[in-house]
Amino acid sequence: MSRLVDQARSLSPAGWTVLPRLLWPLVVGVVIAGLIQFVIGPNISGFTSKVMLVAGINIIMAVSLTVVNGFTGQFSMGHAGFMAVGGYVAATITYYGSIKLFGTADFAGGTVSWTGAGAFEGPIVGKGDLLFIGSCIVGGLAAAGAGYIVGLPSLRLRGDYLAIVTLGFGEIVRVLLQGTPDQIQPWKAKEALDVPWYELLLKLGGPKGFNLLPTYTTLFWVYLFVVLTLIVSYRLKNSSTGRAFLSIREDEIAAQAMGVDVTRYKVRAFVLASFFAGMAGGLYAMDIGAINAGDLGFQRSFDFIIMVVLGGLGSISGATLAAVILTILPELLRDLPPIWPAGLVLLAGMAAAQKLRGQWRLRPLIVVAVLTAVLEIARRVCVAKGINIADYRLILYASLLIVMMLSRPQGLFGVREAWELFGRGGKKPAKGAA
Amino acid sequence: MNDQSPYVLDVDEISIAFGGLKAVQSFSMRIPRQGLYGLIGPNGAGKTTCFNLLTGVYRPDKGSVRVDGEPLTGLKPHQIAAKGLSRTFQNIRLFGELSVLDNVKLGSHLRGSHSLGGTVLRSAGYIGQERAIEDRAMDLLSIFNLAGRAQEQAKNLPYGDQRRLEIARALATEPKVLLLDEPAAGMNPQEKIELRTLIRQVRERFKVAILLIEHDMGVVMNLCEHITVLNFGETIARGTPEAVQNDPKVVEAYLGTE
Amino acid sequence: MTQFLQTLLDGVTVGCLYALIALGYTMVYGILKFINFAHSDVLALGVWMSITIAGWMGMGAAGQPTPPWYMGLLVLVGTMGFCGVVGFVIERVAYKPLRKAPRLNVLITAIGVSLLLQNVGQQKFAFGPYPKSFPSLMESSSLFTVAGVQVRASDVAVVGTAIALMAALQFLIFRTKLGAAMRAVSFNTRNASLMGINVDRVISFTFVVGTMLAAAAGFLYGLKYEGQAKQTADSMWVMLGLKAFVAAVVGGIGNVRGAVLGGLLIGLIEFFGVAYLSSQYRDAYVFAILIMVLLFKPEGVLGRATVEKV
Repeated sequence: MSRLVDQARSLSPAGWTVLPRLLWPLVVGVVIAGLIQFVIGPNISGFTSKVMLVAGINIIMAVSLTVVNGFTGQFSMGHAGFMAVGGYVAATITYYGSIKLFGTADFAGGTVSWTGAGAFEGPIVGKGDLLFIGSCIVGGLAAAGAGYIVGLPSLRLRGDYLAIVTLGFGEIVRVLLQGTPDQIQPWKAKEALDVPWYELLLKLGGPKGFNLLPTYTTLFWVYLFVVLTLIVSYRLKNSSTGRAFLSIREDEIAAQAMGVDVTRYKVRAFVLASFFAGMAGGLYAMDIGAINAGDLGFQRSFDFIIMVVLGGLGSISGATLAAVILTILPELLRDLPPIWPAGLVLLAGMAAAQKLRGQWRLRPLIVVAVLTAVLEIARRVCVAKGINIADYRLILYASLLIVMMLSRPQGLFGVREAWELFGRGGKKPAKGAA
Repeated sequence: MNDQSPYVLDVDEISIAFGGLKAVQSFSMRIPRQGLYGLIGPNGAGKTTCFNLLTGVYRPDKGSVRVDGEPLTGLKPHQIAAKGLSRTFQNIRLFGELSVLDNVKLGSHLRGSHSLGGTVLRSAGYIGQERAIEDRAMDLLSIFNLAGRAQEQAKNLPYGDQRRLEIARALATEPKVLLLDEPAAGMNPQEKIELRTLIRQVRERFKVAILLIEHDMGVVMNLCEHITVLNFGETIARGTPEAVQNDPKVVEAYLGTE
Repeated sequence: MTQFLQTLLDGVTVGCLYALIALGYTMVYGILKFINFAHSDVLALGVWMSITIAGWMGMGAAGQPTPPWYMGLLVLVGTMGFCGVVGFVIERVAYKPLRKAPRLNVLITAIGVSLLLQNVGQQKFAFGPYPKSFPSLMESSSLFTVAGVQVRASDVAVVGTAIALMAALQFLIFRTKLGAAMRAVSFNTRNASLMGINVDRVISFTFVVGTMLAAAAGFLYGLKYEGQAKQTADSMWVMLGLKAFVAAVVGGIGNVRGAVLGGLLIGLIEFFGVAYLSSQYRDAYVFAILIMVLLFKPEGVLGRATVEKV
């Protein structure tokens, strides 16, 4: 057999073909994000669009956490801490950058970023947008750097230490950020011009939070980043690097014996996840127009962990689905619609899928039917008694987490993707067995 | 390749103790190119510990190991694998949730380069490498009669197939020396006969030296050119299968004194 | 000098609390090999249960005289008993079915239990969503003064109770048959069961003991820092638990004496850091220590490096 490297060279496609592979995710991202922003956006209520926006940010967080917790099986519990790092860095750059460059902290973007009331007159992309996107990317890089510093010492050790160190990291970030001095208010922007930039970097508002940021985050930007995060994660999962991640999760000792530099890959996954979390932090800050480290403590990290675990440790589509469901669930629970129609649709869909495949498995159908019935009865009881289920949401999540671990520890989809669950076996290898 | 050293694996007096227990004492072994050597001994004799010392899972207190003349001292397991030492495990350690194909693909990992940029952007080099990895993995699987099950999860394979898959995965690392830890364990007589043929084929085809730990005397005596016997961490005999079989110390170790 | 001694006293007092909590982490880790994430919530439960029991006994209302010392002891015993039962239920329902599951799953379950305790505790039918103040069970004025250092009754009570509990634990583990069984299970679960030890019962027992120690630490915490008890879901509890966990790691996780040593060490480092460096970063010192230990001596001060069997 020839050596792998020689064989690889002879099988490489022409160099220029990288261009379409590089560009299509961007094009798809821009098209999808544009559709959501300009076609769907104007036709939905402000509240719905807000929920969609939060759902998008949660998707980025949950999917990036999947890279660490799901792929490599290392357990990070400070994901919100990285979100805080990225968010604050991005907020600082956008806010003080606006002041230094444009003289005020006001919005300076174009149509894609316009969140204010009424129609917007101006270019599609403004100079403020570039500052904003740049700041989100720098925020991501800062979070990645923090991830490297935290990960390198702790990832060398047994898995559960990482959980503690990351949790501690998240809390320290919160404590440090809450100890920063007051920000320079927008109406005192003139004063800020005379303050050197390195002093500005520390004036982050402390316990009051970093407020009155210009808001740039729209559905367009969020879903552009969602699409890119999803494509990057999916490409990672289905690559030699992704196999190395998964091998660590499956059996660290065997992975080492097969030549995987375990520490290096763990750090790699961790840094990548931190990067996305940092970027999401930037989107988050410039959506609300404020960021407060107090909101990004360990409780927030737990929210993301719940999404990842319920969706399936290692499943990108699972994490996405769980992020969406858990984002809209509190809103749904407030005024719960009947559950049985959804159950019926699901049952019909599953039955149809089974019929197509020509093999009948009764058990999943019964499980769904019983579950629907139980939930519907519970809903009716709550409605009749006037109980607001939304109040008990967190108890519900916690119980769900425990029950999931006891009954289906791999989560909804396990390591697989939604579509792999149905078309059994997935794609065939490119070349048949010789 | 270093042609000066006639031995592809040269183990010189390695020892390790766990607390007061001297698990392996002054273990030495030299395997020539494409040699097929055996390591036997009663339970708890320190055979698997030897493998762990060779592959860097444990660090020897004393002594050195060379592969093709290159010392392995102080290297981590993944670096040792890169030097050309690959192994299977006594208690099978496959990546259960991954497909059979992915298990073998992972074996090729250390022979490639895996830049993050290339992976995410799907560069030409990356695609070529993935194709090469897949081709090699499929070739290996067909040699081991596993090509038909390439897409199944490794944990769902029958036991004998799992053992063979582990060997295929180890071979994907392009080793110079292959360490097999009880490859015949749990196999039926028919499978054992097939395994003997397979191991011989592997040596010819991949030009590797093989060192195997085995309890099944039929397999060892029939297969190996040279056998080392361990008992309580010490080497009590070495030589051809015939010589070892008749060594009184070996008989005593296995059957006990009267 | 006075400042030094005062800091020393504070450090030792809080160190004792850390040690009590760390003991729970380390015992459970030693025997089940996982970080019991719900431990800090049991601690919070201890504080809140103490308030509740004291309330039932009519203590803590405004204008009442300080109750005699044995009333405080009753509250302590009641709290430990209640939390012990809760610990037993947690272990049986959530952790026992996962004995053979991967550690990650157990960790996630522990997070679930932690969230459950936090959020149930915040409900109106439990402790409610608002902070309450801890009843004063002791004179708050200083008991006596040594070299300018005011020693309060609560300090004496904290250190005294902690030492008594630790001594009892030491006796239990190293001098009784049950303790021998605990050590055996921690050393090798399978072999212990082969030797006829009822492993499940030993694990349950260990878990309950750890829980009770955390409950006691909760009570003592309330005693020392009267004022306000934070809500059950406050991140302060997690932070307290985290520091205790760091103490267990520093001492050598799985090692009972190490946990005590680590607890004192962390308490002293924290308070000397606050007194002589800056109070703003008090939580950072502890984690700096953790990172150092992880880098240079990951098995902890008294721990032994373990070899993973392949």
